[in-house]
Amino acid sequence: MIIVPCPNCGPRNSGDLRPAGEVISRPDPATCSLSEWREYLYMRPNPAGWVTETWYCRGGCRRYFTIERNTATNEIRGQEAS
Amino acid sequence: MSETTMHSPVDVGPLTSPDGGVTLADAYATTKIQVRAGAATAAAAALGVSYGRSRRNADGDLVCGTRPDEWTIYGDPGRSGAISATVPTEGFVTVIDITHGRAMLRISGANATSALSKICNLDLSDELTPNGAVFSGSLGAVGCDWVRDDQGGQTSFLISCERSFGKFLFIAVADACTEFGLSIPAGWELHPH
Amino acid sequence: MTNRLPAQPGEVIDRSTSLSFTWNGKQMTGYEGDTIASAIAANGVDVFGRSMKYHRRRGILTADHWDPNLFLQVGDEPNVRAGSRKLQAGMVVSTQNVWPSLKFDLAASNQLVGRFLSSGFYYKTFMRPQFLWPLYQKILRKFAPGGEIHWETSTHGAYDKRYVHPDVLVAGGGPAGMGAALAAADAGASVLLVEHYTELGGHLRWGDDAQRAKAAELAAACEAHANIEVLVDSTVTGRYDHNWIAVNQRSHATAPERLVKARAGVMVVAAGLIERPYVFAGNDTPGVILAGAARRLINLFSVKPGTKAVVMTANEEGDGAVADLERAGVEIVAVLDARKGESIVAVEGRGRVSKVQVNDGRMLSADTVVTATGWTAPTSLLNMGGDRPVYDPVAARYFSNSLPSNILATGGIAGDGSTAELEAHGRATGELAANRSLRRRHDRVSQTARSGAPTWAKPEEVADSRTPLARNPHPECYRSTTHGMVDFSEDVSSKDLVQASKEGFDSIELMKRYTTVTMGPSQGKLETVNAASVLAEANGVEMADIGTTVWRPPYSPISLGALAGRILEPVRRSALQDWHEAHGSTPLLAGQWVRPDQYGDAMAEAANVRANVGLIDVTPLGKLDLRGADVPKLLELVYVNKWQKLDVGRVRYGAMVAEDGVVSDDGVTGRLGEDHWLMTTTSSGAGAIWEMLEDWLQTAHPEWDVHVTAVTGGLTSINVAGPNSRTLLERLTEGVDLSADAFPYFSVRTGKVAGVSDCIIWRIGFTGELSYEVHVPSGHALHVWETLLETGVDLGCAPFGVEAQRILRLEKGHYIVGQDTDGLSKAPTAGLGGLVKLDKPDTLGLPELKHAYGRDDLPILVGIQTVDGSIVPEEAAQIVDGDQNTILGRITSSRMSPTLGRSICLGQVDPSLSAAGTEITVLMADGRRIKALVQEHHAHFDHEGARQRV
Repeated sequence: MIIVPCPNCGPRNSGDLRPAGEVISRPDPATCSLSEWREYLYMRPNPAGWVTETWYCRGGCRRYFTIERNTATNEIRGQEAS
Repeated sequence: MSETTMHSPVDVGPLTSPDGGVTLADAYATTKIQVRAGAATAAAAALGVSYGRSRRNADGDLVCGTRPDEWTIYGDPGRSGAISATVPTEGFVTVIDITHGRAMLRISGANATSALSKICNLDLSDELTPNGAVFSGSLGAVGCDWVRDDQGGQTSFLISCERSFGKFLFIAVADACTEFGLSIPAGWELHPH
Repeated sequence: MTNRLPAQPGEVIDRSTSLSFTWNGKQMTGYEGDTIASAIAANGVDVFGRSMKYHRRRGILTADHWDPNLFLQVGDEPNVRAGSRKLQAGMVVSTQNVWPSLKFDLAASNQLVGRFLSSGFYYKTFMRPQFLWPLYQKILRKFAPGGEIHWETSTHGAYDKRYVHPDVLVAGGGPAGMGAALAAADAGASVLLVEHYTELGGHLRWGDDAQRAKAAELAAACEAHANIEVLVDSTVTGRYDHNWIAVNQRSHATAPERLVKARAGVMVVAAGLIERPYVFAGNDTPGVILAGAARRLINLFSVKPGTKAVVMTANEEGDGAVADLERAGVEIVAVLDARKGESIVAVEGRGRVSKVQVNDGRMLSADTVVTATGWTAPTSLLNMGGDRPVYDPVAARYFSNSLPSNILATGGIAGDGSTAELEAHGRATGELAANRSLRRRHDRVSQTARSGAPTWAKPEEVADSRTPLARNPHPECYRSTTHGMVDFSEDVSSKDLVQASKEGFDSIELMKRYTTVTMGPSQGKLETVNAASVLAEANGVEMADIGTTVWRPPYSPISLGALAGRILEPVRRSALQDWHEAHGSTPLLAGQWVRPDQYGDAMAEAANVRANVGLIDVTPLGKLDLRGADVPKLLELVYVNKWQKLDVGRVRYGAMVAEDGVVSDDGVTGRLGEDHWLMTTTSSGAGAIWEMLEDWLQTAHPEWDVHVTAVTGGLTSINVAGPNSRTLLERLTEGVDLSADAFPYFSVRTGKVAGVSDCIIWRIGFTGELSYEVHVPSGHALHVWETLLETGVDLGCAPFGVEAQRILRLEKGHYIVGQDTDGLSKAPTAGLGGLVKLDKPDTLGLPELKHAYGRDDLPILVGIQTVDGSIVPEEAAQIVDGDQNTILGRITSSRMSPTLGRSICLGQVDPSLSAAGTEITVLMADGRRIKALVQEHHAHFDHEGARQRV
């Protein structure tokens, strides 16, 4: 159980939150191609290293925010409220 | 029907350990008014507490900064209209009476923190959770809104959850209190035999 | 108590309190303070059990928690560690792993066929033929070393958990650990001091007078310190990311074991050292014990370990054992000094050591062999912090390599020293730990919203300026010239390891898995270093080049009960659930909710709704209060249909798909006011839909004015359904005109019902009958429910449960998301064609929706009726291609219809079968193939909806 620094609540156990995955940009659904859409749906870089990811503070402030997390070490830096 | 005849999900108690170290009581009838408002609104200014803290206002109601841009005002039973009327509604402001939707209990006493720490992973020590602290977190696997609201110098927490979880929450908290001498009434055991 | 010595100066037994117990049925007595093993040994017992594979006789080896030969059955509890578990009066203790008895063990013949049980025997012997595996399994189970569980009669009660948040957690209560705890506590840190055994003191407990006095002094200081909480008989079993630390507390008044979950600022590891056995032929014969075992038996428990002893010593522990043995009256046959190259080659003896062969050629007579050949540093907790320890050939043990800043090591694991030096290093470590953890606490308080600002200054960071402990030279004593046992609990010998290396399993990690060395209950505490040394020798390389296996949690085994703790599985109850239970309802667990499945006869309940009027509690429906001018924009985004033009006072059915076009949820949403809406979701989807709405509002459209409030439990939802529903409600409703013209189908009104204000009433038709859903403030729900029933007696009003509702909705062909759709069902499958609007600029899954409506190969949900209406196909029965087994669909819902007197179904079929009138084949669970016809409509009854629109 890692500690996730919620920008509103402060440090919390990750069990209080829901990881919402790597930050990805959503193509314009009205104009994008099906393959661009499926890239958005299914493809993730998933590196062993630094990622920017979204968390939802489900048990606390109910706000979405982003952090940078090293997936190899669980080191965390930078946090931003959405 | 008046507010005071509300039917609580918890029809037992209050329960006290023989040494008085912990007391557990239902508080469902407490009036609970939720306010949603941006930081720049008159409502935010009037409520006057930031997320994480609380204050008791001139009317004796407990004003809590429940979440960013969200407040809850707790008052005596039957005060829904009176409390709602105090909130300025200019701008995009939502005032909802959530009294019926939130089960509520109060746990007090010297052993209250130790009992809660059996089923809650938050640091409830005086420094991290001083009197007046407002926060949310899981208690007995139920998502709860908390206020530390000491009574007469004695540690006390006012804890609410979604109404449908209310009976389970009370049972889970009562079970945690048994280590500190609380007796459980028949039918309210977490692990019935 | 034949082997009990006169009073020893440091004994922990209380001779004034005798405890009686039984050992394999024989009555024995011990003293308060005895371990189970010391009490049995005091009664003259040598053999405690049989080894796992070869069923060799085994006696005391280490006389502590790690002793691989002291796993005993105590009452209904198997695998009790008799080397550390304290004796209690009345214990019924017996041997494990003997068949049929301890003295005569059939399986001991495995020794004769030992070659079949050598390295990798599991893989080599039991792989083929595969069909024999169940038989192998039965036989192997007889040989397995575990005891027996008796859960039916267990008296253990519930286990327990607790959370703690110490600044500093100290693992190990020896001189260094206690020093660290005291220094950290003096510096203002809150400290949790965890000691594996029942008393603080570590190795000082079985030391000399001065050592015991020091232990008592430090222990008293720790117990008295306001900032220190001491947990004895407790083990730090695991360290996880960000110092999430598991502590297993074995003796607590309220539970047999308690899992303490700690989030610590800094963990100080002061786990000490564990003595290592020496590998030689016969090293598992009863009577061969470690020096520490001899000292503990004599000094703590006043038990004489033998009569004639040969001692092999490479260090002070062995020298100390010689002195203790002499004091206990044990004849010292010979002292072999390993520092001078003297060593044991082999021992002989069946039930007990009788002869000892020395490397100078002598053959000595003795019943006891004591070895002190070195140490294993239990770096387990350091490994869990990412450290990979490095072997030091001079000190002949492993030392940590690099530790994260929130883990510090002290004591024997960090180096050697006198008691004073160990304590001093511990104190320096404690000061450092306090500095780091108080800085962290300051950050936590500053960053935590509920805490307010810290009232104290953040300490300056101090550097690690500790004087390192020395690393005293120690001979590398691992194996003699003969082969012996390396892993006592798994019965793996050095010969097995050499063979594994020859077979190509020459890396330590592969060898471990192939031979199971270090994989038994000792988990490497005794055998890891010896295994590495044997492998180094077999591979012809240096120890340092072998590496070590990675120690993973738990440090010592933990009961499953402790991991489970109390059963915290929240159950949700509507305000009416007590009433349902008092009126004979069968409970149905639906997700977290408990609901009334039926009140005795679901078919009759359904029929009553068609004939009269029924009430059902549908509170679990997810309900979200939506406020703000931009609610229609949000609804257009998340639903497939349009919402901008819904008038105040109207409700509409909405369906949702996820971004991949798969149907995800549905429900009715009504407009209560210009900027006030009530949205309903499926019961199971309620939480996720709320989070999804917040996601869109917070991350994609923060400019929209929408407030979402969950009101599921706040509004108790009562569906009043049946031809008499309007008449019933008219008797109790104030301020709402219920007539068909004033309150048409798919409308919503707010008013007073049975005297309760603020009720929301909407007219919908899930059951297919005229029906009203009344959402009542929950504190008054019971009153409304009971009043409806009383007032409706003459109208035939009766409650109905979930089962009756499922029948009614299936008669009407209303699909249920997740029942009639699945994780691959896109909008066309569910028949949402008329609802889906593709001309919106943005809606969830829009590109997938467009694509899906261009396809002709998606399965289609259809109404299905069997040709023989008496047969009800099972839900999930497959629809197949005639006599072939090609799957062309499945039945998703099926029931016997009380209204039609025949079975009715919904099912997903291949589009080639979706035309009305198509004959299909349903493969039943019992293998029958039955014929069924695809229907024109989903609804089996009143497909035009005439009954609900009256």
